[in-house]
Amino acid sequence: MPQDMPPTGGYGPVQYKRNLPANGFRPAALVIGMGAIMTYGFYKLAQGTKERNELAREKMWSRIHLIPLLQAEEDRDLVRRHLADQAREKELLGENFKVYNSDRYVRPTFAVTPANVTK
Amino acid sequence: MAARNSYFNQQVLYDTTPLPGSIPSVKEVGATSAPLLSASYFIGARCRPYNDDYMQCKTENPGKGEFECLKEGRRVTRCAASVVEDINKHCLDEFRKHWQCLDNNNHQLWQCRKPEWKLNKCVYDNLKLEKTIPDSPKDQIPVHLRTRPIYAHYPILRDPGQPPFGKSIDPPSAQAQASAPAS
Repeated sequence: MPQDMPPTGGYGPVQYKRNLPANGFRPAALVIGMGAIMTYGFYKLAQGTKERNELAREKMWSRIHLIPLLQAEEDRDLVRRHLADQAREKELLGENFKVYNSDRYVRPTFAVTPANVTK
Repeated sequence: MAARNSYFNQQVLYDTTPLPGSIPSVKEVGATSAPLLSASYFIGARCRPYNDDYMQCKTENPGKGEFECLKEGRRVTRCAASVVEDINKHCLDEFRKHWQCLDNNNHQLWQCRKPEWKLNKCVYDNLKLEKTIPDSPKDQIPVHLRTRPIYAHYPILRDPGQPPFGKSIDPPSAQAQASAPAS
């Protein structure tokens, strides 16, 4: 019985390599494009950060210019209330007790509740 | 329930005892936050020495500054009140426009550049006070003079007939110098 032999001229080539179409840009072009977009983005980000810093500086200085004014008004009010408190205490108790072992001014914990409507 | 009077309400809690006569009285500024913010740089321009005096006094008297610095505090308040009064006298319209813009824009200064420029110009022409931001970088345009703010909701539009803005407008002092020789 004759043996099975390859056809004359051998078998045809076997397709084992991928044969997909390569769509789109070349990888080098993609990398360069991404680099350009990201550089632009970071440039804009840096600009925005710089401007935000300047805006923050502007806001901070406007507040710095106002703080003495606001604090002075608050201080006058505190002094007024403190002196009124002291006078009231003197009138009720006859003398002013030193409550704290310190010369520092301590903001009052308790508010006065006047018996009559004052305002 | 209806017969019960409210006792701890705001009205009852006011302590209206005035300051004793030994302490000179001063009229408070009485402006709200938006006008104060709008005028802050002019207050800073005119009252810087008084403000610094007051803050130094407070630093040197920790815990007692409330009593020791009353005099300096009165000076601070009088100076600021004078600035607000002068702005009201000379630039009332511009001032109102600017602080109302601030009130409408969450107190964000960068949304209100156009009214601010008008106010700055008016204040410089009449009171010779100019807005400058201390310690800002020398190589950059000051942020309040830039014509293309990044964070503003709307771009700054020209008035009809106004020449186009460059990257920035000139500060009021430079504008005054530029227009002085021509006239």
